[in-house]
Amino acid sequence: MNEKEITCIVCPIGCKILVKTDGKEFELVDGNKCKSGIDYARSEALDPRRMLASSVLVKNGLWPLVSVKTNKPVPKDKIFKVMKEIKKAEIDAPVKLGQIIIKNVLNTGIDIIATKNIEKL
Amino acid sequence: MKNFHVAIIGGGVIGSAIAWELSKYKLDVVVFEKGLDVCSGTSKANSGVIHSGINSTPGTLKARFCVEGNKMFTDLAEKLGFSLKWTGKYVIAKNPLESQEIDRLIKVGKKNNVLGLEIHTGAVVKKRESNLSCFEALWVPTAGVILPYEFTIVLAENAVKNNVNFLLETKVTNIKKYEKGFKIETNKGVFSSNILINSGGLSCREIVSMVEKPDFKVYPCRGEYLVLDKNYSNLINSMIYPVPPAKLGVLGVHITPTIEGNILIGPSAEFIDDPDDKKTTLHMMKTLLKEAKEIIPSIPENAIISAYSGIRCKLLSPQQSGIADYRIEESKRTPGLINLLGIESPGLTSAPAIAKEVTKLISKFYNLEFKKDFKIIKKQPRFSNLKENQQFNLIKKDEKYGRIICRCEQITEAEVIKALSNLLHARSISSVQYRCRAGMGRCQGGFCTQHLLRIMQEKFGMKIDEIKMKSPDSYLFTGYNRELKK
Amino acid sequence: MTNENVDVAVIGSGPAGLAAAVSAKENGANYVVIIDRNSWKGGILPQCIHDGFGLEETGNSMTGPEYIQMYIDDAKKHNIDFLTETMVINIDKNKTITAVNKNGIYKINAESIILSMGCREKTRWNIMVPGDRPSGIYTAGVAQAFINLYNIIPGKNIVILGSGDVGLIMARRLKLEGLNVLGVLEILPHASGLPRNVVQCLDDYEIPLYLNHTVTHIDGRERLESVTIAQIDNKKNIVKGSEKKIKCDTLLLSFGLIPENELSKDAGIKIDNITGGPVVDQTYETNIPGIYACGNCLQVYDTVDVLSKSAKLVGKNAVVKLIKNKKSIFVKPGKNIRYVIPQIINKKGLINFTMRVNKPAQNVTLKIKADEKEIYKKKQRWVNPANMIELTLEITHEILKKGKTLVVNLHE
Repeated sequence: MNEKEITCIVCPIGCKILVKTDGKEFELVDGNKCKSGIDYARSEALDPRRMLASSVLVKNGLWPLVSVKTNKPVPKDKIFKVMKEIKKAEIDAPVKLGQIIIKNVLNTGIDIIATKNIEKL
Repeated sequence: MKNFHVAIIGGGVIGSAIAWELSKYKLDVVVFEKGLDVCSGTSKANSGVIHSGINSTPGTLKARFCVEGNKMFTDLAEKLGFSLKWTGKYVIAKNPLESQEIDRLIKVGKKNNVLGLEIHTGAVVKKRESNLSCFEALWVPTAGVILPYEFTIVLAENAVKNNVNFLLETKVTNIKKYEKGFKIETNKGVFSSNILINSGGLSCREIVSMVEKPDFKVYPCRGEYLVLDKNYSNLINSMIYPVPPAKLGVLGVHITPTIEGNILIGPSAEFIDDPDDKKTTLHMMKTLLKEAKEIIPSIPENAIISAYSGIRCKLLSPQQSGIADYRIEESKRTPGLINLLGIESPGLTSAPAIAKEVTKLISKFYNLEFKKDFKIIKKQPRFSNLKENQQFNLIKKDEKYGRIICRCEQITEAEVIKALSNLLHARSISSVQYRCRAGMGRCQGGFCTQHLLRIMQEKFGMKIDEIKMKSPDSYLFTGYNRELKK
Repeated sequence: MTNENVDVAVIGSGPAGLAAAVSAKENGANYVVIIDRNSWKGGILPQCIHDGFGLEETGNSMTGPEYIQMYIDDAKKHNIDFLTETMVINIDKNKTITAVNKNGIYKINAESIILSMGCREKTRWNIMVPGDRPSGIYTAGVAQAFINLYNIIPGKNIVILGSGDVGLIMARRLKLEGLNVLGVLEILPHASGLPRNVVQCLDDYEIPLYLNHTVTHIDGRERLESVTIAQIDNKKNIVKGSEKKIKCDTLLLSFGLIPENELSKDAGIKIDNITGGPVVDQTYETNIPGIYACGNCLQVYDTVDVLSKSAKLVGKNAVVKLIKNKKSIFVKPGKNIRYVIPQIINKKGLINFTMRVNKPAQNVTLKIKADEKEIYKKKQRWVNPANMIELTLEITHEILKKGKTLVVNLHE
């Protein structure tokens, strides 16, 4: 296994966590300040994922866009594919915070949800 | 093809002053301006100083028009409502050697009939300008400041009100002289006129060469400026000038309190090849700050909110001293062509007097007759400068006066709408800035740009990719991010 | 002219203003009004659509709009009054606020005023980037509003100057939209933004970060055409031969933020030259009794969690007023410390300090001396200018009575 330094993104401190990994196996070496750091480092080494935030076009809204996010982290290699779906989407106002805009996007089991209320024009 | 009595090339301060002066008479007048708005060149990028006349060689046109123009400003400002402040100026001598230069300026000033000149000792100066230390200084009470773009715009819009045609984004590409006058080819079509006035500023030689072989050259000379935050407006009360440097025919880096409360530092003087090269340079920015600090040591380094440069139109090279007089004359080879060449400082001060002179030249061709219905639109004071009860009354009349959309300069939505509804139909971001000052403060548009965009789109039906900053290709955005499916 | 008397007037409805207002209500204020210049509530957060907010405070990572909705709902629950699209144009020493909106002019007499005006972005001229003055140059936050609120794209080929958090976040945002982000330049040898943003905004998308680099010239008479970039040595001089031209139509500037205190200055409030915010005591009260400051107009925070936490204290202090000592001691930044808040202490008790270092360092010791006596000592594995240091320390009656200054030092 190779040694690898992972900068933790869980909180603003940004611990530099040293791990050993070959993509399948994972071993913590040093550097984390909390338990979340271990979880992050493991997932980053074995199955890197990111939360994705963007916006979707709103029809007849007080604002032209509603901000959205994925309800779960997206595998890194799928981010641009999911973005493509987000760009295609449209939604009628009013939009409620938490409302699902795209369900089970690209069969990932991940939903795209609104993160803002948008009133009708 | 419509024929005009007079065609003016260039909507700078000279072209606009002439247009306004001629708009008093029964004449058909057209102005061609290549920019998106009037005042797009040298006229907007200078110190905004109304000079007294102590710096111009007696007997020259510069001296004559400067002193004549200076005397016209109080009345003009009253009539047209543009801002004018007679701040007065100090020319400071740091040592007895520089005092000799002050003696020379007094002699020049007296010959030019500049009134009220006094020599103040360092101690007297200190009382009036506490941040200034010098050996002695020349006090010039008849020097003042205006906003050069405001003045130019007020002149141009008043000319339009009195039926002068201003054609923006109209570049003259060729001129043909024929028996009765001129055929003027532009990107917007061909026009004809009996008299052609060349107030093209830095382009004056290019214009002449379309008609005849020019007998002069233009040497562009760039001047850079720094603008300080209004928080430091109390650093000085009047303009502070060093004694003029021996060379280049310029006045040296001076410190000018503007109408708006900002302080200007500059201009530098640098002869360049390209008359459109209005860049600022790190070297010069540092030099300006250094030279200004030699005059006022307490100028803070972090007070700069903007920098710009303007280009002087000089008719002599630095090797030839750089000091030439204006040429304001009908061409000897092309009757009807009135050239205004080498109009540099004190051009802003001279503009109204030059306009009178040009009108006199035109009166040789026509029997000028006053319009009975000549109108004046007086610029209204800004909302933020009004008394509270006046502000209240305005809001009651139009609630958009209650919506302040420029935080730094406290400009209201109503004022922005008024600026965008201007008679010239100029609708760039800088057209708004120069008419009502939204976006010219310390955040440089950070807060108000979104409101300008909203108003431009909703109220004026402009498309997002049609919005320009200042010139035809200075688009702000490439478009919308998400577009509705049809 | 409308005259109103209120217990607490809050200027700005961003996270600091909302948190302070809610806390003022919770601590017994009857009439709390929040005045905001925008048509919406929440200040900048509705445009910060990325996640990472509220983790420390709630345990959940939220997006900016979600985080602020939590406080807007809270404010509604507490019947807090809002004056939106209303610009405060003056605050005077007697705590009367003059504000303007489309209904007219308001005179609001407040028992306490809480300043929470936030901050603004540094512009091109704050760091004197020379060259032409074309269109296509935006501060990162303004560009963020364009793309996230107004659906507008500023341009297609983008260079980002300055590695502040907003710049890093915008790099990712634009890249996700399929725009060409050519790189982020940072004049310092280290990124200004948080480490996690370097990872998830730049590294993830292979956007290059050029440390020790800056833009030396801007080209384009009308629209931006290119920037010249160069390497900078440790004396801030351009490394000869390192200059190169990059074609681009957009330059985003992320130089950092300046607390917005024009109203404070006009009111006669003393400003700390380093923080750019008011000088405050341990209750966040300014030199004008009854006027308090919180949020980014006090100091620029790195996370909203810490900002809201201290704004809540301010909301309480503005209502529950304790009698303070006449004698004060002054808190001074020492070795490798840029600033410390509060700057003044005039009451014994547990006091929250926030501070920043000047430059990154490892294995250092933070020491606080009351005059010559050491009263605090803590080892820090690492410190970074981007990461604010927080600590709580008991200031005794003894220290307050005898001392003149507290000095905070960071020892290698």
